[in-house]
Amino acid sequence: MSNLDHGKFTRVTTLFHSLLGLDVFLLFFTGYAIMFNDELWWMLTLMGGASGVTAIHRITGIGLVALVVFWITLQLISSTGRSNFSKILPAKDDIDAFIQDIQFVLGRADERHPSARQFAGYKADEVPLLSYIGKGVVAIFSIELTLLAISGLLIWSKTGLAAMFQTKAAAMAFVTFHGLLGVIMLMGVMFHVFEHGMHPAFYPVETKAFIPRSMVPEHHSEDDEEPDTTGIERLSLSPSWRSVSTIFGAMTVIGIVSVLIGSIFDEGYPVPRELAIGGGPSSILLTIGINLGMVVLGVGLVLSMYGNVLRIRWEQQLEEEREPPAAADGGEPQTDGGQPESDDTEN
Amino acid sequence: MTDRDDLPDVNGYSRASVLISAVVGLAVAGLSLFWAQGFRVGYESLYRVNPSVEGGGIGSDWVFGNTIPALDFLIALIHAADVIMGAFILVMVFIHWAAFQRLAGQMRDPGEDVSEAVAADGGSPTGGDGQGGDSA
Ligand code: HEM
Ligand code: HEM
Repeated sequence: MSNLDHGKFTRVTTLFHSLLGLDVFLLFFTGYAIMFNDELWWMLTLMGGASGVTAIHRITGIGLVALVVFWITLQLISSTGRSNFSKILPAKDDIDAFIQDIQFVLGRADERHPSARQFAGYKADEVPLLSYIGKGVVAIFSIELTLLAISGLLIWSKTGLAAMFQTKAAAMAFVTFHGLLGVIMLMGVMFHVFEHGMHPAFYPVETKAFIPRSMVPEHHSEDDEEPDTTGIERLSLSPSWRSVSTIFGAMTVIGIVSVLIGSIFDEGYPVPRELAIGGGPSSILLTIGINLGMVVLGVGLVLSMYGNVLRIRWEQQLEEEREPPAAADGGEPQTDGGQPESDDTEN
Repeated sequence: MTDRDDLPDVNGYSRASVLISAVVGLAVAGLSLFWAQGFRVGYESLYRVNPSVEGGGIGSDWVFGNTIPALDFLIALIHAADVIMGAFILVMVFIHWAAFQRLAGQMRDPGEDVSEAVAADGGSPTGGDGQGGDSA
């Protein structure tokens, strides 16, 4: 069996996910280079100092507005979007799945609940569109991105800001608010990267968000018996999984804890922050921790690109497989000589 | 969307609705740009709050402090939300970390002999087609 597993995203959704990820990562890198300029001074410098960073942040901010509005509109005007709406609402299964996850970890359950399962394998029919984590992710990210876009635009608008706040200090407080709002998103995305990068069956990246469901053949067991397991026991663990997942897990935890601590002690409010390096209560440990968090995000960015590379290879392979019939209508997609059969052996 | 439309791609979204949404998204983005910035091009004219300007920035003219209590409250509130969500997210990381360890335990070890391991539960191991990851 393959570890491709059943995709659930349409092609539009995969594309949207990749663009959103790219844009949000850039917003993170620029936004937190400002907020944590003590710790991330090198990022600030690398992206053109204060002026470069804020310019990039605004450009990608407008990109985010476009993406968010695109998605909301699409969900409202398409029947697919509307019919999916009930599938993102929490249900009893989600609570069960959460409880069963804890039991699974403690060894009191043999498998994860269908509403928690990332690797569905033979039991794909049981798995809903979104896991309980997926629903939480959708909820948190939607609220966060909407609020961030609105507050970001308010900060940007001279008139909008002036109408709301009389003093520059008050305006700054609102900027701080905007930045602190993003911290939840920041921590959430670190978890998201860990969750979809380090699952042992999918390591180094779960392709579900990158390869559209229409391109993944449905697998049904030959006999009509109910499958006993997902079939995960047939997959081999990657040799590097143990060490890499341990290191990356540690980095994720350290990153989350550090940005959280940093956001409390280093946000520059209400006391004016010393802007020279070393200002504020920042310490070596916090600096290392926040930088590790940025590495986690960087890995996420790379994995998201890698997911798209895998999709392109998979598309080429599908095309190759139907080469004979395709020859008839002649000259279309360019297959630039990939070796489709062997694309599972990289790394 | 591309030259591969005739591949088995049953898009969930119709082309029209994607197009309309894209136009709406870009239009709203354009309008908000206009609202926030006007059409003065060039970032020189960007309104800068400048928390990060070298040798000065916000600190230097932070004279009066914030006088809006609601904002103070908002910031306290968001700090609390950050901490609560942070703790929750950490719990989720640990649950998944541990669950992944267990799942990994159910899988074959890297060097394990494939043919032997499968014999027990019968069925053909259609190995080799593990696209998308290194199941090698
Ligand atoms: C800022 C960046 C990102 C954002 C805002 C984002 C957002 C989302 C959202 C809202 C979902 C749907 C809910 C869910 O199933 O969890 C999702 C699903 C997913 N994301 Fe991301 N994502 C980002 C980055 C990434 C990265 C870097 C990866 C790869 C490591 C990734 C892999 C996935 C996968 C595999 C799913 C499908 C989960 C499933 O349906 O089972 N995402 N993402
Ligand atoms: C994922 C989304 C976003 C995140 C995580 C984020 C994060 C941040 C952070 C951390 C800061 C610095 C706050 C501080 O100084 O303490 C900031 C500033 C700012 N953000 Fe965002 N932001 C996001 C989206 C947006 C959007 C959509 C816009 C506009 C459309 C925007 C506009 C701004 C502006 C104008 C500033 C002030 C920059 C300056 O000082 O000149 N942001 N953001």
